[in-house]
Amino acid sequence: MLLKSGTVLVTVAIGIAGAIALFWALNKLAELLPSKWEHRLKPYLLILPAYLAISLYLLYPTIVTVINSFKDRTSDQWVGFTNYADLFTDKAFQSTLFNTVLWVIIVPAVTIIVGLAVAALTDRLPSKSEKFVKTMIFVPMAISMVGAATVWRFVYAYQPAGETQTGLLNAVWTSGGAEPVPWLNTSTFRLNTLLLMVILLWAQVGYAMVLLSAAIKSVPAETLEAARVDGAEERQVFFSVILPQIKGTIIAVGVTVTIGVMKIFDIVYTNTNGQFNTNVLANDFINELTTNFNYGAASAIVVILMIAVIPIMIYQVRNFKEQEAAA
Amino acid sequence: MKHKDVRRHTTLAVATTATLALTLAACSSGGSTDTSSDGGGGGGGGEATEVTVWASVDQPVLDGLQEGSNNLTEGSNITIKWEKVENINQLIMTKLGAADAPDIALIPQPGVVADVVSRNGAFPLDDVVDKAALESSMVPGTLESGTVDGQLYGLLVSMNVKGLVFYNKPAWDAAGYGTPATIDELNALTEQIKADGNVPWCMGIESDTATGWPATDWFEVLISKYGGADQYNQWVSHDILFDSPLVREAAAEFETLAFTDGNVFGGRNAIAATNFGTAGNPMFDAAGPKCWMLQQGSFITGFFPEETKADLDTNVGLFGFPPATAGGDNPVVGGGDLAIMLNEDQATKDAMAILANGAIGEPAAPGSSFISPHKDFNMELYPNQVTKDVAQVAYDSTAFLFDGSDQMPGEVGAGTFWSDMTSWIAGSQDLDTTLTNIDSSWPN
Repeated sequence: MLLKSGTVLVTVAIGIAGAIALFWALNKLAELLPSKWEHRLKPYLLILPAYLAISLYLLYPTIVTVINSFKDRTSDQWVGFTNYADLFTDKAFQSTLFNTVLWVIIVPAVTIIVGLAVAALTDRLPSKSEKFVKTMIFVPMAISMVGAATVWRFVYAYQPAGETQTGLLNAVWTSGGAEPVPWLNTSTFRLNTLLLMVILLWAQVGYAMVLLSAAIKSVPAETLEAARVDGAEERQVFFSVILPQIKGTIIAVGVTVTIGVMKIFDIVYTNTNGQFNTNVLANDFINELTTNFNYGAASAIVVILMIAVIPIMIYQVRNFKEQEAAA
Repeated sequence: MKHKDVRRHTTLAVATTATLALTLAACSSGGSTDTSSDGGGGGGGGEATEVTVWASVDQPVLDGLQEGSNNLTEGSNITIKWEKVENINQLIMTKLGAADAPDIALIPQPGVVADVVSRNGAFPLDDVVDKAALESSMVPGTLESGTVDGQLYGLLVSMNVKGLVFYNKPAWDAAGYGTPATIDELNALTEQIKADGNVPWCMGIESDTATGWPATDWFEVLISKYGGADQYNQWVSHDILFDSPLVREAAAEFETLAFTDGNVFGGRNAIAATNFGTAGNPMFDAAGPKCWMLQQGSFITGFFPEETKADLDTNVGLFGFPPATAGGDNPVVGGGDLAIMLNEDQATKDAMAILANGAIGEPAAPGSSFISPHKDFNMELYPNQVTKDVAQVAYDSTAFLFDGSDQMPGEVGAGTFWSDMTSWIAGSQDLDTTLTNIDSSWPN
């Protein structure tokens, strides 16, 4: 243990020293140039290491993944679009796609609505209670996703009728005399998928709340007063005065949550591993990669995910630029 | 241009070095337990040559085997050193041909033994051990499980048994239930327990991310009983499809036992939501069994409630899942550790002969879950009646068959066989779809 910690510390020290030396050397290099060129080139020189690191760790794997998605399960032979064709004609994968779409539609919307509601309502509380309520809602953010998923697994736990119900939900459900329900196995109307979404909502509504609350507080009080003086109701003040002014934050939160949800994995893996019709793209990918060792199919799933995320990111960047321009 | 190139290279070199440093740190802290291994025997010089054996068995079993080999090597010119490693299946593939590979490895899966052989990593044992003697002293089928292309490579050293039916002994005896001799009798017994106003079966196939595997055990047991060893092996290699009369026969029997109203505690709905480890607990309820039988492997006794485990022999009884016809083919499904030889020198061959000696397990048996694959093993050494009964089921069988799903490709054995069976049992998918789904998921 001591040896391990020692190794880690030495590695970190070498890494930091290396980084300092690198930037110092790059700086010196720039200073060698004529003054005019020094100023022109320096920024590029200094971001060069970061760019190289991104190329090494992001671009290169991305390119290899795209290439592998057109190869067979061991990445030996070219197979064209076979991996994609197999996936899209597979009923299980269609269900996986459908579930992922459900996640992407429902979770960001509910996160924003609940986050906004909490932010707007607590804004009217006395400072102390506001802090307390917000802290309580924010606390789950501190729990790792797998931890949260495990906690909720206990909430949804099921025991056959006649046994003591150890799961909170079934304990409440059966207290009125109803039969216990195996919640996570019940895919009627995708009930189990919806229950899994509750976990993610519980875990990250706090994030949306904090950002939206900050945005609401930064809305100039004069605009609110002006609206009230003009006879606007509170509802009108919220929807017509506050909302338009925090639109940027709402979009930013929505996009971040959406991208996170597209990659959702831990909650599904921990609770059902995609069984009972709850599979999502990222979980399917992990299983193709680590259970089936089918690198072709795994790569194809990632590429599909990547293509789906790109438009959202473009939208986010555009929105960011617009805000920058407006500011 | 030149300047720029040089710079880029330097930066890349630094970046690479940093990456390397990190990777090395990760590797060195990744925990290899074999730093003490000296690369095994083969030197020849010195007084006793040390032969290294790697295994992923439980520590008490390993300690017992170490003691057993110490007893057997005393006075000879070799010593055998047992080392516990994690995940031997993955580890051994990376160690093939490496300088720090062990001389002998205990592999828990025949498929991995075949993989090692196909990479020319293992040496045949036909001339190393006395095959003819082992043929008669070992449980039938155990040598076949270690045979690749007609040659013996893997020698079973320890085993565990699946397809056992456990019950609450005091309640069982009081009710006067017997041991069924055929599957038909088991069905009749199920009906009788139900007629007595009780629930015959405890069943649970939930196992976190591996939900469904206990269902595959059910199918392996039923298919082995209906089809016998040959058809079982053809099914495992997909020469017999899932959508076949054999598998459908097994499914029909499972349906009779598990889906008939009142047969399973909590009903069909509960099976997929009940954890395999706790499924048997209602059997030992203080107020009497809430369900009466549990089909599982020999390991399940470790999952029983503490009070039950405190006096296993008083509380727990068991019988082997009955054959299709009385006195007919009666294979048993299970698992075990196959010793393979990765070194060809004389010391290793001598050590292998010692591993083939049933006496090596004698010190291991009393204090661990060890079960010897040798039929002439001294039964008195097993720690309790339950273990003796488990061993007897194996010794009475007509063939020992390795767990089938473990040998199938991951897509099936740890994929659709689990998930589609689960869907079928949970009632969200019919049998036809289930069987075709599993068949079509088999990689070509």
